[in-house]
Amino acid sequence: MAAILFYILAATALGATLMCITRRNPVHAVIYLVNAFFALALIFYILGAPLVAAWEVIIYAGAIMVLFLFIIMMLELAPTETPRGPGWRRWGPVVVLSSVLLGCTVALILADPGGGAAIPTYYASPREFGYALFHEYALAVQVVSFQLLFAAVGAYYVGRSGPGAMETAEDREGSP
Amino acid sequence: MNEKLLFLIPLLPLAAGVLNALFGRRLPRALVAGLAVGGVALATLSTVVFWPLAAGEGTRATLYTWMASDNLRVPVAILFDPLAASMSLMVTFVSTLIHLYAVGYMAEEGGNARFFALLNLFVFAMLTIVLADNLLLLFLGWEGVGFCSYALIGFWFREEKNALAGRKAFLVTRAGDVFFGIAMLWLFAATGTLSISGINQAASALPPDTLFWLTLLLLTGACGKSAQLPLMTWLPDAMAGPTPVSALIHAATMVTAGVYLLGRLFPLVSLSPAGMATIAAVGALTAIYAASCALAQREIKRVLAYSTMSQVGYMFLAVGVGAVGGAMFHLYVHAFFKALLFMGAGCVIHLTGGENDIHRMGGLGRRSPLVFWSFLAGALCLAGAPLTGGFFSKDAILLAAFVAGGLYFKILWGIAATTALLTAVYTFRLLYLVFAGAPRTAGASHRLPAAMTWTLPPLALLGVFGGLFNLPTAWGGDGALGEFLGPLAGEQVHASHALEWGLAGLATGLFLVGWLAARWRYASYRGERPSPAKTFFLHGWQADRLVDVLLVRPFRVLADFFWQWVDRKGIDGFLEGGGASLMRLGGALRRLTTGRVHSYLAGFAWGLIAILAWMLAGFIE
Amino acid sequence: MIVPMSHILIFSGIMFFLGFACVLAQRNLIMILIGVEVMLNAVGVTLAGASALWQQVDGQIFVIFLMAMTSAEVSISLAVVVYLSRRKKTIEADAFSEMNG
Repeated sequence: MAAILFYILAATALGATLMCITRRNPVHAVIYLVNAFFALALIFYILGAPLVAAWEVIIYAGAIMVLFLFIIMMLELAPTETPRGPGWRRWGPVVVLSSVLLGCTVALILADPGGGAAIPTYYASPREFGYALFHEYALAVQVVSFQLLFAAVGAYYVGRSGPGAMETAEDREGSP
Repeated sequence: MNEKLLFLIPLLPLAAGVLNALFGRRLPRALVAGLAVGGVALATLSTVVFWPLAAGEGTRATLYTWMASDNLRVPVAILFDPLAASMSLMVTFVSTLIHLYAVGYMAEEGGNARFFALLNLFVFAMLTIVLADNLLLLFLGWEGVGFCSYALIGFWFREEKNALAGRKAFLVTRAGDVFFGIAMLWLFAATGTLSISGINQAASALPPDTLFWLTLLLLTGACGKSAQLPLMTWLPDAMAGPTPVSALIHAATMVTAGVYLLGRLFPLVSLSPAGMATIAAVGALTAIYAASCALAQREIKRVLAYSTMSQVGYMFLAVGVGAVGGAMFHLYVHAFFKALLFMGAGCVIHLTGGENDIHRMGGLGRRSPLVFWSFLAGALCLAGAPLTGGFFSKDAILLAAFVAGGLYFKILWGIAATTALLTAVYTFRLLYLVFAGAPRTAGASHRLPAAMTWTLPPLALLGVFGGLFNLPTAWGGDGALGEFLGPLAGEQVHASHALEWGLAGLATGLFLVGWLAARWRYASYRGERPSPAKTFFLHGWQADRLVDVLLVRPFRVLADFFWQWVDRKGIDGFLEGGGASLMRLGGALRRLTTGRVHSYLAGFAWGLIAILAWMLAGFIE
Repeated sequence: MIVPMSHILIFSGIMFFLGFACVLAQRNLIMILIGVEVMLNAVGVTLAGASALWQQVDGQIFVIFLMAMTSAEVSISLAVVVYLSRRKKTIEADAFSEMNG
């Protein structure tokens, strides 16, 4: 039963991703991607990671994709008429390239004899997860939190406008 | 007497020359001249003082060893034997007179110090050739006279033609020197020594082929310095130098250096009959070639230059038939009267205010009788007037050629006799055109300095009475020079007195015929009538053009080829091409950095393919 | 029992190369970043699958770190995109080629 669900969800995720990457309108792409993330979250749950599934929805679909939408809206990049996306001249070689890569990867995966056996069911409860996180990976947690602080400061600084913002070349050319 | 004092003979002129070279510009004219004349005069005195040392086998003196390496020994040594002594006496004495003459000649010219310094250095180099006991030392003097000749011919170098003449002289004589150099190397390889006496002693042990080729090489070296065929093109052009230079270098000393070299190495050279025959042929052919050219010349000094070439040819002929004594006799007498003739020519040019062309001179006999009579004395010697020194010396050579045996030498004798006739003709042509008749230019009459006129008579006397130096027994003399030279005089000439008288009569007859022919044609000036034949002889049988076509043009083509093709296109092209292709490669590579993110991402993709392919390949094996 | 590991790997592989194709083909800076997100998620699936295979929780912990890093990276990238769009008034990736040559 879990296996069938997995295949259905995998197909959904792949289909949604395919739709996402071929859109010309970035907003449409983001929406399709959110769809794919929901499917992925369910896949995570099937693989025995309920906490990861929750976070996939909360952080990825809820925060990151919303941020994308904010920026797209702010930059007014989604005009009423759909912009011209890359045609077959760009997609053609990329498709070929990606297919070749995929083919090599699949060949490598299938060449491994140990991959044929089914994975036994697994379930990591939040308690177990939290214990392992703060027990063995405590230092990493601290580092990651620093990292998030840097990112916040950096994003604030880069995105600033008005006095004290980063000087652009056009600003420099204007001033004597 | 200490034999090392012999080194005073060459070193006194050297000292005077060096002093003039270093300080002459700051010294007064008189002091410069005095130093120069004093240097050579003292050298003459020294030669006379040391004369007894030369008797018999001579004296050997060594100053120090110049080079010593393995079995090569080059000492700075003098061999003062009769040949060297007589030659150095002639060189120093004539040089002294010419230096005195030059003081007067250059009285109004600039560059005094340079001139006299070079003249003295020349005398030093010539004396080194004469006195050296070692071929390398002789070569040092050989090159020294070449350089001084170059510097003196191009003395007035601000006029391009003078500088070019000097350069031509240097290059042509240098071409001969190359062969001399090869001969020296070969001699050292064959005999293990460069000492002249050593070589002469070891000569009999060499195989005949070696001897022939060595003789030929030495002959070519001698031809370069003595302006014989085929290296004679420089001598007529060398008249661009001042007249004292022509008198000293191109009459008496440097051009005779070739004869002297062959005389010094006579024991070696005489062992090759084919070589001797070649020497004689070169001499005879040059003699008639030069005499034919002298007949057509317009400039007074060029007539005398070709005449010198012709007379040196006689000396080569004499060496070729084995009569070194006869050759030296003619060398000394010729030095006297040819120097006299050149100095007289200088006086004539001075008198006509710088005019060189004999067709524009005339009537100078009345203007300066002293010059005229001295010049006449020299001219009579040159033409071989009976009982003059020139007569006896030329006769000795003709006799030696006649009795040398075989049809070959008889032919050469015939050529020499014809040349004697031509000599008489061109000599009297010169005399009539310059001194006789009415003056053809209204040139300003310059006063001749005493130094120029009073140095002429001594030479005239020596020339006219020079026969007494070596009067043959047929005439009642004892052949003093021949006796003095002893074995160095080469082979004895055995001839009956009747033959000698007969040939003397023939020579007198040729002289008279030549004189009368010239008198008939030139005594009254009939104007110039140019013809192609005259132009041909005037340009020396177009020898210059021949050299240009045979040597200079191919050399230019070769040089151009190496310049344009090898250097410019080849080497530069290769280097620049290498640089340019590297630049192009850089330009091509630069197109990879587009600055666009997608190109770099594509790079990622290709790299990833490579890695996966490699991993797959690892798996498949 | 759930699916064999090779199936999970194939699934995440396909997803990864879909994201890669998006990055290569799209000219829009935003679309490139979306492609990057897809790729990162594919990696996350692999990690979770591996954690299930080995019956350990460490794979999932790495997924959480991955998400944290991704959010930090996205915030800075979008700030840079805003800055770039202010400079050139466009977000075509080909417009920013001053580092050519």
